[in-house]
Amino acid sequence: MDNLVLSNIRQRPIRTLISTSGVALGVILIILNTGLARGMLNDRIRREQGVGAEIQFFRIGAQTLSTSNAMPLDVRYADRLKKIPGVRTVSPFGNYLQTGNSGLGFEMVDAIDLDTYSAISNLRIVEGHAFQSDDEVIVDEFKARRENKGVGSPIQVFGKTMRVAGIYSPQIGSRIKMSLGALQRALSQENKCLGILVKVDDGIAPEEVARRINAELPNNKVVLTRDIGLNFGGQIPGIKGFVRAVMGLSMVVSSLVILLAMYTTITERTREIGILKSLGASKTYIIGVIEKEAIAISMIGIVAGLAVALIAGFGIEQATSLKLEFHWTWLLAAALIGLGAGAIGALYPAVRAANQDAVKALSYE
Amino acid sequence: MVYRVGRVDVNALRGVDFSVAPGEFVAVMGPSGCGKSTLLHILGGLLKPSSGRVIVDGEDLAAMSDASRTDMRRRKIGFVFQRFNLFPTLTAEGNLKLAERIHANGKPGLDGDARREILRLLRLENKMRHKPLELSGGEQQRVAIARAIINRPSIILADEPTGNLDTENSTIVLDMLRKLNQEFNQTIVMITHNPEAATVASRIIEMRDGMIVGER
Repeated sequence: MDNLVLSNIRQRPIRTLISTSGVALGVILIILNTGLARGMLNDRIRREQGVGAEIQFFRIGAQTLSTSNAMPLDVRYADRLKKIPGVRTVSPFGNYLQTGNSGLGFEMVDAIDLDTYSAISNLRIVEGHAFQSDDEVIVDEFKARRENKGVGSPIQVFGKTMRVAGIYSPQIGSRIKMSLGALQRALSQENKCLGILVKVDDGIAPEEVARRINAELPNNKVVLTRDIGLNFGGQIPGIKGFVRAVMGLSMVVSSLVILLAMYTTITERTREIGILKSLGASKTYIIGVIEKEAIAISMIGIVAGLAVALIAGFGIEQATSLKLEFHWTWLLAAALIGLGAGAIGALYPAVRAANQDAVKALSYE
Repeated sequence: MVYRVGRVDVNALRGVDFSVAPGEFVAVMGPSGCGKSTLLHILGGLLKPSSGRVIVDGEDLAAMSDASRTDMRRRKIGFVFQRFNLFPTLTAEGNLKLAERIHANGKPGLDGDARREILRLLRLENKMRHKPLELSGGEQQRVAIARAIINRPSIILADEPTGNLDTENSTIVLDMLRKLNQEFNQTIVMITHNPEAATVASRIIEMRDGMIVGER
């Protein structure tokens, strides 16, 4: 290994390990956080679209992922929607956002009118029975399996202990469903709902039915379910800002680790810098050697970070109900940020080294 | 050459005026603190004199910027140090290749035959795969000499090249410097405080208190 950069990396294993860990940490932060945000969002979108309703009807300004759990829409809109040509079935619903039962993150509870919901979605109870009282819920097969919930198991909803009455299939909407009436009574919002699911007649374009709904019931929000991804991304408060903050924080962390590691290394290698200068190495050359070393360290950190992030992501999915989705654009972004952090972090030590007095550097002990 | 150390000005060199002809081997002798090292650093462009001229191969180092002096050093000057100053993480071959890479922007280095001849002269043919710590002091200094001449500099500046060597290795190294001078017409300026070491040179300049006080 007769390359100055590679031999220096090999010669200082502890320094290399610490530096690569700093870069890897930044990469892991970016990949896991973006993977989680993307995975949870896309999972939600898939399950919402899997319900089978082509249109969702709301009051203007209604938020489907809000913590306020408000239900601003009168359920009697369902009767008016039913009369619009092209509408086959409607089903009012509510949402309740609570802390995850596994202790991680948040989870949504759907409050539904089971008969009309089942007509739209083909939901069926595969074990047990439907909820028959306000303190009963049904859960999907994934949640039942992952959290070991069977018929009769206790489950926390509203901070109260309720009972699992049944297990349903397929995995659509939220993984916990309760009676809309129960939510109305719990929140003292009788005859209210968050929105109404609309199933369109066969052979009619959903856009046409949406246009008719807008014409019949103006000043409301009519959303095509296929566009719900765009809707969610804008509604989750601060998610874009959160992702940007994670990326910025990762870059700062990695840069600082590289800066400190390279600064210490330069101090140890003062005489080597003097030798390079005595050989006629220009400032650009010296900066280049140090930057190459930092970039090489960063690349090791990136590979390690990618590997750990992917393995950790798999482990998280196996151990929890969280969903992670990795996309190559984010992996590439994480790698580029890791490289950038290394290059930027090493810049100050590199320039400082290049500007050292050669005579003093040569006599440094 | 005037140094400023804190608030004190130190006259390291006062009115030094001499020349070295191409192919000449000059030893600069004097006690510690007489200014020998400062003179060598100025000749090599590592220091800029506070006044005067330093002409190397027709170019005045004293009039150059730091970047230009660095470029001059890369093209025309080779250093040999008392402490060898080899890169410990590289083999002997790696140390030579590094010097060649740094030099690569300018004229080409030694061709294969000339390189082999240098290594033969310095008895390094079987030492090139060893790292400095695996070599004796004499061998390390010979590698340092090879590194200094690998790019055919106009002048070699040797700073107490035998200062860290025992008598036997000192003799070997001095003999090799003499052969480089005689067989390759290499111009060498060597500073030393050892009168015996100075005898390998064709001319000896004596310094004291920053001035040249004699020549023989």
